[in-house]
Amino acid sequence: MEGYLNAISRAVERGDDKQVVKIVEEALASRVPPLDILEGGLVPGIQALGKLFKDGQVYLPEILISCRAMDRGVEELKPYLADTNIHNKGTVVLGTVQGDLHDIGKKLVRLMLECNGFSVKDLGVDVSADSFAHAARQHSANIVGMSTLLTITMTYMPKVIKALEQARLRHKVKIMIGGAPVTREFADEIAAEGFAEDCVSAVDEAMRLMRL
Amino acid sequence: MSISNRERFLAICRFERRGDLCLLTPYINDFWPETLELWVKQGAPKEILDSRFRRAYFQFDHIRILREIKLGIYSDRKLDIGGAAYVYEIPPIVPLYQPKLISEDEHTVTLINEGGQKVRVFKDSPQKMPLFLDHPVKDRASWEEYKKRLEPDTPERWPSDWDAYVQKMNSRDEPTMLNVGSFFGFLREWTGLESLLYMFYDDPHLIEDMMDQICHLETESIKRVVKDIRVDSAMFWEDMAFKTGPLISPDMFRKFMMPRYRKVTDMLRSSGVDVVFVDSDGNLNELIPLWIECGINSFWPLECAAANDAVALRKKYGQYIILGGNIDKRALLKGKNAIRQETMSKVPFLLESGGFFPSVDHLVPPDVTWENYRYFINALREVGGLEKLPE
Repeated sequence: MEGYLNAISRAVERGDDKQVVKIVEEALASRVPPLDILEGGLVPGIQALGKLFKDGQVYLPEILISCRAMDRGVEELKPYLADTNIHNKGTVVLGTVQGDLHDIGKKLVRLMLECNGFSVKDLGVDVSADSFAHAARQHSANIVGMSTLLTITMTYMPKVIKALEQARLRHKVKIMIGGAPVTREFADEIAAEGFAEDCVSAVDEAMRLMRL
Repeated sequence: MSISNRERFLAICRFERRGDLCLLTPYINDFWPETLELWVKQGAPKEILDSRFRRAYFQFDHIRILREIKLGIYSDRKLDIGGAAYVYEIPPIVPLYQPKLISEDEHTVTLINEGGQKVRVFKDSPQKMPLFLDHPVKDRASWEEYKKRLEPDTPERWPSDWDAYVQKMNSRDEPTMLNVGSFFGFLREWTGLESLLYMFYDDPHLIEDMMDQICHLETESIKRVVKDIRVDSAMFWEDMAFKTGPLISPDMFRKFMMPRYRKVTDMLRSSGVDVVFVDSDGNLNELIPLWIECGINSFWPLECAAANDAVALRKKYGQYIILGGNIDKRALLKGKNAIRQETMSKVPFLLESGGFFPSVDHLVPPDVTWENYRYFINALREVGGLEKLPE
């Protein structure tokens, strides 16, 4: 079994989706438990990639193809997993704040969070404070993640926090923010518990906020 | 003895005029259109909307960008969205796409722009970067079609009266700059960032083909330009980094981009153009040594929020590189003390070291007030030993 898991992990790490699918199929045929394939093969692969990113050994294209490989592997497992929610480390409601249409940074955060076991509700771009609060309630979010690229829309982030307070949800969710002009100091200033500089540190930060 | 503006620019680039404050415009010292409109409401003269007036008012130094030759990225294209200008960037395709309105709702308009991109734009703030919904190049077949718009000899790429244009450009007492395109940035405009990043693995030959076409377009065109026109500097446009580093690995950069950059910069240098800028947002610290290897020696805007530090770069690279920008736009939001601190912590050292063109670390955004921007320019002038701007 170890051989299959290590091979899956290495294939995820190098973003080889075809190989991931092939080895997952072989592992299933050899009666390796699906949950072991997920937790002992796919997840360690993506975690190893995250470490490589932090060490500056891989870059965004590698993140994308590894997330794709992981996703293909998970798709193979789905019919065999009794509870598809078993992988869920928490629910994140994510969006680019109102007045800002930037998408790609948030998208990468979503991909990495999903690959690392979070359930993500992506609200898209230009998201109003009320929409964040509504979605946080609807999905029983653990974390509300906000993104922006502009200094002029960064000031919308406290409005979202205010809306969560008014909806009496603030004590139920942690706030995580990111984007080009955003700093840890700004996060502290607006009382956001989390701040991430990139898609990999967003996973670390979400884990920290969930105390995982 | 007086010195021409062109000689002055080149002397600064050669580290021969230390302490000389040269505020280049357009491009280096430039603004969101919305910023200027807000300044008029805040008490600025209404003529500030006009670039010539602005140049005279702030005593900026003009660099003549050879924008009539369609080789680089152009951000002066405009469409009217609900009475306001949607200003957008397009790569040098000839012919342009026919703009087309797709749909609109209360707040946004969705359209195909002249670059063939499907975008969603805010009605009340069309200057903001749009949401990109679709791109013209998706695969080899769409690339083969798109490629036809990238031929160097297409007449519409060139000013119609070339001789008159040459004479006009060569008679000017100001530096000239030729936009020489982009190897990463254009591909992103054509395919979309996410698709492009996948493509580096899924179809590297298509990437190579697209970059080869750019290389062909640029080198053939540069050959024609430098034969007739006195070009003082060149500018690549890439925007290929984000907050903590480059969008692709140094290995990919070396494999795909470096050999093609070299063809362009070798041609420029053999024609006497040895000031070669690259404009890229994001954290450039890993990319700068690679660009230096490619023959690029000038960097702008050096965004502070992405951990670029011009003082540290000057100390590290000495006179190998020319620097522009790096005054934190966020300081200009905070007020006079922050502006003064930001300016005085960098500009005296950088000006005295030479090879530095001060500016805010990108276009001046609309949340910078007229009063703060004037204060900033006066702080720069103080460092340069110049009198304050007239009231």
